[in-house]
Amino acid sequence: MSDYHDAVVQLLDVTKGFRRDKIEIPVLTNTTLHIPRGDFVAVMGPSGSGKSTLLNLCAGLDRPTTGQVIVNGQNLGQLSEAGLSKWRSQNLGFVFQMYNLMPVLTALENVELPLLLTPLSRSERRKHAAAALRIVGLEDRADHYPRQLSGGQEQRVSIARALANDPVLLLADEPTGNLDAHSAEEVLELMQSLNEQFGTTVVMVTHDPKAARSAKRLLHLEKGTFVQADIEALEASR
Amino acid sequence: MVPLKYNIRSLRARKVGSLMTIFGIGMVVWASIFAFGLSSGLDKTLEIAAEPLDVIVLRKGSTSEAVSAVTEKAARDIKALPGIATGSDGQPLAASELVVFAYLPRRGADIKVNVSVRGVDAVSRALRKEMTIVEGRELKPGVREAIVSRAMSNRFQNLGLGDKFKVDGGEFEVVGIFEAGGGAVESEIWTDQRVLAQIAKRTGAMSSLQFRAASVADQERLIERIKNDEQIDLGALTEKQYYAEQAAQSGLIKFVGYIIAFVLTIGAMFAVANTMYGAIASRAREIGTLRALGFGRFSILTAFMLESLLLCLAGAALGCLAALAVNFLLGGIQTGTMNPGTFTEVAFSFDFGPKILLQGIFLAIVMGLIGGFLPAFRAVRMKVVDALREV
Amino acid sequence: MKYLPLILRNVFRNKVRSIFTGISIAISLFPLMLLYAFLDLQDDMASSTAQYNRVAVLHEGGLAGQLPIAYVDRVRRQPGVKDAIPLSWFGGNYREEKTQFAQFATDPKVFFEIYPEYACPPDQIAAWQSDKTGCLVGSVIAENKGWKIGDKIPLQGNIYPVDLELTVRGIYDGPDTADRSWLVFHFDYFDESLKEARTPNSGNAGIIMLRTESASKMSPVMQSIESAFASSDAPVKPMTEKEFGASFLEMMGNVRGFIRMTATAIVIALICVAANTMAMAVRERTREIALFKAIGFNRNTILGMFLAESIAIGLLGGLIGGIGTKFLFSLIDLSSVDPGLGMFYVPWRTALWGVALAAAIGLFSGLIPAWRAANVSVIEGLRKVV
Repeated sequence: MSDYHDAVVQLLDVTKGFRRDKIEIPVLTNTTLHIPRGDFVAVMGPSGSGKSTLLNLCAGLDRPTTGQVIVNGQNLGQLSEAGLSKWRSQNLGFVFQMYNLMPVLTALENVELPLLLTPLSRSERRKHAAAALRIVGLEDRADHYPRQLSGGQEQRVSIARALANDPVLLLADEPTGNLDAHSAEEVLELMQSLNEQFGTTVVMVTHDPKAARSAKRLLHLEKGTFVQADIEALEASR
Repeated sequence: MVPLKYNIRSLRARKVGSLMTIFGIGMVVWASIFAFGLSSGLDKTLEIAAEPLDVIVLRKGSTSEAVSAVTEKAARDIKALPGIATGSDGQPLAASELVVFAYLPRRGADIKVNVSVRGVDAVSRALRKEMTIVEGRELKPGVREAIVSRAMSNRFQNLGLGDKFKVDGGEFEVVGIFEAGGGAVESEIWTDQRVLAQIAKRTGAMSSLQFRAASVADQERLIERIKNDEQIDLGALTEKQYYAEQAAQSGLIKFVGYIIAFVLTIGAMFAVANTMYGAIASRAREIGTLRALGFGRFSILTAFMLESLLLCLAGAALGCLAALAVNFLLGGIQTGTMNPGTFTEVAFSFDFGPKILLQGIFLAIVMGLIGGFLPAFRAVRMKVVDALREV
Repeated sequence: MKYLPLILRNVFRNKVRSIFTGISIAISLFPLMLLYAFLDLQDDMASSTAQYNRVAVLHEGGLAGQLPIAYVDRVRRQPGVKDAIPLSWFGGNYREEKTQFAQFATDPKVFFEIYPEYACPPDQIAAWQSDKTGCLVGSVIAENKGWKIGDKIPLQGNIYPVDLELTVRGIYDGPDTADRSWLVFHFDYFDESLKEARTPNSGNAGIIMLRTESASKMSPVMQSIESAFASSDAPVKPMTEKEFGASFLEMMGNVRGFIRMTATAIVIALICVAANTMAMAVRERTREIALFKAIGFNRNTILGMFLAESIAIGLLGGLIGGIGTKFLFSLIDLSSVDPGLGMFYVPWRTALWGVALAAAIGLFSGLIPAWRAANVSVIEGLRKVV
């Protein structure tokens, strides 16, 4: 597989379940996973297979019932709530299915948002944010509000926001789920180029085989365990 | 920190809801400022009057000039005491004054109320420097003339310039209107002391003696001297103490005003909490995103507390402006009430000074902080994972 | 009515919001009830005393004027007058207390003739009448000051240069609307003290309170008294007890105006608050409303449902605020603030008026949101996600 020691994401014997009305529903069971630096992984699987839980665990938004999650050498279990917040702001980028831009902030201000958590000065923040917008090709939309943008543009702004703080790991949750084919393609190309040019590790949860195809590697989750798969085999099986 | 513009613009985005809340808070602040302004205006009437070095001599045990008596002999004795400041003419700054009541109808009402009529001597004006005639002319001694404060002239029938009114059956003509920059004098009618004494059949004794001490030490010494002198047998207190005593009588008005303000503030807290709960519920996903981006719980808490505070401060601004606007349009709100101790009319203006406005703003801040806390706390406690899934 | 369960469920679907709105209305209603109860009480007192046909005779120069005590007998002899007493305001200080309470020098032999609604055990009345330095106190003031039969009450003169030492001989009670915060004592004791002190104002009856034989005699009696004393040294002004009471409120200044203004501000504030709640409810349920319409509910039904919801929330606040204030004031005692407030209570009609006002606030605040709900477009509404 990959180089164990340069893994950005390591899940060690992770079990995660939810309690619903006193019944424990297991989502992930004794899962171990290594994602090396510079990888671009697509995670697929049926609803309820634990895809989103996997992302939440990697982001430190959720904690495993047992086992350890180590991201970029940091054991997330050892961090406090406040520590996790700070750690996220320094290491992670997020791309959501619903873009989750602040409707009351302009594109540029949305991109600037994570930079507020850094010691950068106001002008430096502006410069960084503008650069990020340039990368996603939306520098001319800097002063537009989200409602003035198309879905594809919104998602590109959200990618710009994700890369503004130069993250080690980019987590994408159905990034093309709400987009038309053309926009989806743009967004996927953008993520690919980020992965290739800046070496950002990408973990993308998706339902879309086309999106999965743009990844370097495909993981298939089924009933809480990973099955190595390749996209051709997956498509053939449909 | 979450940028402030995020909160400001979010308030703007929920225009109707924010405006409704701001308007509601504004009304509450306005009503509170009115209540504060009323009781402060009443207090000020008495406060302004007090000259620090002035002393008022009354009958032992009486708390008001209206029911006091100082004989002419005692007045002469006191005027001769050393330590009383002297005027430019070398005479002691001490005035015997007589206070009686006229029973006059208010304008626009058929009810009559008691109004203080002060019989003054030549020195009285020197003790009240802030008094100026703004219309008509000064009193002439020895004739049935009166000067009336602007406030009383506006409030009472028969007190306009040139009008005539009766005191104890004697008729007086209003020859001048004066202003004194607020204060107790503004609730009074002034006439010549000897003329008034004759009509009111009060000879041999005046109501009070007022004098100005040469220094603070003299003031203390003179008060002690008068109190302990068996020959004089009178009570003396500083003007400040005298008016403080009078102010205590308006306690009920103050009590009611503060109760109203206090209760309305609590009511408004719930309204603020509602608005903020609404804001937070509809922005759950935004909050989740902020948390995912790395904003800590404290940032979220302060952000929403600030938003609540902004909402309330906008309301406070509205309330203050409304109060000032009403005050400006009406050229100051003048009104009057009865001094429950003496049953006489006290004319006063609402006080919308900076202190009163700040009290209103303070209430709004309390509303914002307490009303905003529970909702902000809910925002903090939201599970990021769930919040991100909200639609 | 078949929609009622649905409406009620909607009221409580967002419990915190509905309850907060209700509480906000209830709490803000509280000062409003307080102010209006004050006015209503004045009216109640005035109308409940009307049956006793009392007339107050004042000096033409108002309360500060002096009526010779001999006038009492002259008034009593006027045709149509049942009896008369002096009520001379003493205005003394009790201990170091700043607040004053009513102290009158009067005629103990006749007092209960004039105030038949005051109830007092006969032995106490007799004890008071026979003790020249004895006094009779109202149940409210007695409770407030902790006075019992036999207690000494020192009063320092303020208006008059005499101090009195009185002994509580009786405690009177009466209906809710009767003033039970008076202290009354022998006029003779008062006047003798004044004579002893050689003050010029002895023999002052203060005001004279009389009862006429019947209601129809009131105005002839007032006219005959006014003309009887017209040319004397102290001309008088008779007025009915009701007018006399009203004049005190008038003297306080523009009380009604101030109350009306505060009430308006509170009502506007509450309409804003409640309207905001309803607007939030409509916004939240846009999709649901569209669904209702798609099923076939018409505009008016939806309009009615939201209005009913809004009125229900108003009523919730009104019931807590209106009825609650009534009961709150039957529990707490305001006499420590001002002895005159010891009798304060909230009449039922004030409480019910508060409930109705709150319902009206609910109605008005619901108008625009309900209208918007009724006009939700089915297609837009069903599409709307947020």
